[in-house]
Amino acid sequence: MKRKDKRPKRDSGAHQPGPRPAKGDIRDNARPPVARVQPKGPANAKRKSRRTGRHREPPAARAGEHRGHPPRPPLSRPPAVVDERSAVDAAGLGDTGIDSEEAFELGIGARVVPPTTQYGEAFESSPPDPQERKSGDVEAQIRALEARLDGLIRQRHSSDGVADADAEAENELEGGEPPSERRGPLAKVDSSAPARVAPPPVEDFISRKWGRSALRSRSEEFDDFGLDPSFEQRVKPVVEFLYRSYFRTTVEGIDNVPAEGRCIVVANHSGALPLDGLMLRAALRIEHKQKRDLRWLAEDFVYYLPFAGVFMNRVGAVRACPENAERLLEKESLVGVFPEGVHGIKKLFQERYRLQRFGRGGYIRLCLRMRAPIVPCAIIGAEESSPLLYRLEGLTELLGLPYFPVTPTFPFLGPAGLLPAPTKWRMRFGEPINLDNYGPEAADDHVLVGRLSERVRSAIQAMLDSGLRERRSVWFG
Amino acid sequence: MSNSLTSSHSLTIAERGPLGAPPARRRVVAITGAAQFLGSNLIGLLEEDANVRTIVCLDAEAPTSAGSKSRVYNVSLTERMAEERMAEILAAEAVDVMVHLAFLDSPTHSTAFAHELESVGTMHVLNACRRTKVHKVVMRSQTLLYGAHPTNPNYLSEKHPLRARRTESFFADKIEAENEVLRFGRPGQGRLATVLRIAPMLGPTVDNFVTRYLSHRLAPTVLGFDPLWQFVHEADAVRALRLAILYDVPGVFNIVGDGVLPLRTVIKLAGRTSLPLPRSLASSLTSALWLTQLAEAPPAFFDYLQYICVADGALARKELGFEPLYTSREALIDYANAQHLRDVKLLSETPA
Repeated sequence: MKRKDKRPKRDSGAHQPGPRPAKGDIRDNARPPVARVQPKGPANAKRKSRRTGRHREPPAARAGEHRGHPPRPPLSRPPAVVDERSAVDAAGLGDTGIDSEEAFELGIGARVVPPTTQYGEAFESSPPDPQERKSGDVEAQIRALEARLDGLIRQRHSSDGVADADAEAENELEGGEPPSERRGPLAKVDSSAPARVAPPPVEDFISRKWGRSALRSRSEEFDDFGLDPSFEQRVKPVVEFLYRSYFRTTVEGIDNVPAEGRCIVVANHSGALPLDGLMLRAALRIEHKQKRDLRWLAEDFVYYLPFAGVFMNRVGAVRACPENAERLLEKESLVGVFPEGVHGIKKLFQERYRLQRFGRGGYIRLCLRMRAPIVPCAIIGAEESSPLLYRLEGLTELLGLPYFPVTPTFPFLGPAGLLPAPTKWRMRFGEPINLDNYGPEAADDHVLVGRLSERVRSAIQAMLDSGLRERRSVWFG
Repeated sequence: MSNSLTSSHSLTIAERGPLGAPPARRRVVAITGAAQFLGSNLIGLLEEDANVRTIVCLDAEAPTSAGSKSRVYNVSLTERMAEERMAEILAAEAVDVMVHLAFLDSPTHSTAFAHELESVGTMHVLNACRRTKVHKVVMRSQTLLYGAHPTNPNYLSEKHPLRARRTESFFADKIEAENEVLRFGRPGQGRLATVLRIAPMLGPTVDNFVTRYLSHRLAPTVLGFDPLWQFVHEADAVRALRLAILYDVPGVFNIVGDGVLPLRTVIKLAGRTSLPLPRSLASSLTSALWLTQLAEAPPAFFDYLQYICVADGALARKELGFEPLYTSREALIDYANAQHLRDVKLLSETPA
């Protein structure tokens, strides 16, 4: 064990002349490199095979196992077989009487025969290492020559193959190949492939319909934030029924929402069961000329809840946090924000339509940073559809809710009590508020942010007040 | 869409990325955990890479993919003398880059061993590097360390704190190790550290607790929750490590595949049936099963079946020039195809 510390000399020629077990060589050459699925045994088995002095044949089967590539004939250049014993000799340990197996066990400079695992990465064809040529062994010399020859052939092929490769790249650009057939650039350099066949030209129709990009777009059922279009399609009749027939929503000034580009719609939040986000999304999809796709930001607590969180996520809600909002705005989408947050939906019926504190003005900071205009929006009618009479605070911890709502119907009629009342809803969109004359650095100016937030709040409050003055009936508008 | 396509196919351009050609000097790379899945595949990749001169393989076993460039040393990070021995090897081989991959892929019952290997072992590795003036360390980490929380943003950036449960040693050791590596690479010392936080790996040959979770007929889920998941293909993970070795880009990078999938879709695509259980029941059941070594993971992992933990790969794309070849969905399908063959006994090779 004291030899353990002995280190091999660095790279002192791996092919030094040394006693080569002829038996092993014969076996190596005799064995044809057939594909064979070789179950990996426990580590002991590997060691045992090494002890018996048998070289592990290159498991060509691994090439097949890497299913990224079509099965290929083995490279004509044989793997640089380094005998363990000669390696030990080379390392200057031959005279120490350490057996190669023992040396291996001790971890001294033992090299392992490389399996010809095919990796889909380019490797530059380089002339063989000079140390390989230095070896006195005749066989190694022949091998070195062979390798050099192959290197030359490969170089020529790769220079020839440039034009082909370009054509291939173009093909692939159009989504030519499904991922299972993708080949690494290695395929282009591989000289041993008998007369490399150019990939068949892919017709436009085929690549459009079955190409990689087509597969991708067909399979993208979910967007980045968890919206499930197929689920939304199924829920759509219910949402449209609520929007058109149940709440009989009327919309004013929807043209204030820009036809394209990033924008934030800021609205008042209301109701024990907040449906306003869903209805706001429906309004923009149904009434807006460009059928804009609004994603609204929902409070954290929704995501703690079973079912509700998943449902909201699949129909378009996104958790309210600056990272998410920024990402949405970067994609030039329309974001619905309820800055009152939980305070908006937990206010009691008697406080209805009185806007709560607008958080810390995070949405203003967002607008300043992302240079997005604000469209204020007042939603009237939602407060009465599920009026919150009382908040049971004791149950909140237990249920993970910010409050336990008591509405005229809810705990008394069971889950059916959660059904909103059919009030008449009105949505008013105000003139866009542009913050472009402030730079992005204004986001750090807390006083300014507070002032701007107050400006937006008062704009919405004014719209709410005028809307309420015009309203004659809660039920008929 | 078209952008991602061009870049994923024109490999050489994508791989050079914004970084230009790799450094002229051929590197000597040392790899810990060389016989593990990532290590042995990385060796196979670097064997064919002209930019790498020598690969120094450090592990308790010999990697199967070691070739003519590789020099295999028997080193166990849990030994007392690991640091001295490694320092000797690093000095003798004049190593340029240390790639630290000796981390457990799956939770284990032998937490003491895991602590020795991951947390203390990382200390040994870094001290050996400090002694021998190895100026660059690449470490493999996991996006799981961000922790699954309902308050996570949909895409976690590298700046987000690591909030995985510290009570679970699987996470605690890895977080400690990562902090040590980042301390090693703190600017002003002339050293650099690259940490790759890799999403759960899927693919035809990899084996970890995620693949085992998806290999049973019934996959337990939490009733009422369906978080978004994200994967990276095993090949992409190895490619990312190669980039981090060849280019000197210090920092932390999320290595993830494009796109997200809800857990229920994941299970469906893998051809399994989900078994929704209430969290309380599932937790107690799993802790019992975990104690009797029948479950894949302790109950803390139910967080990931309940809440979102998805990372943003934009930084790796921009600074490391890493373009994943496979989306999350393609990685999953690639895994599912191989698993299907394994199920019907047409593929007898057990995953690594």
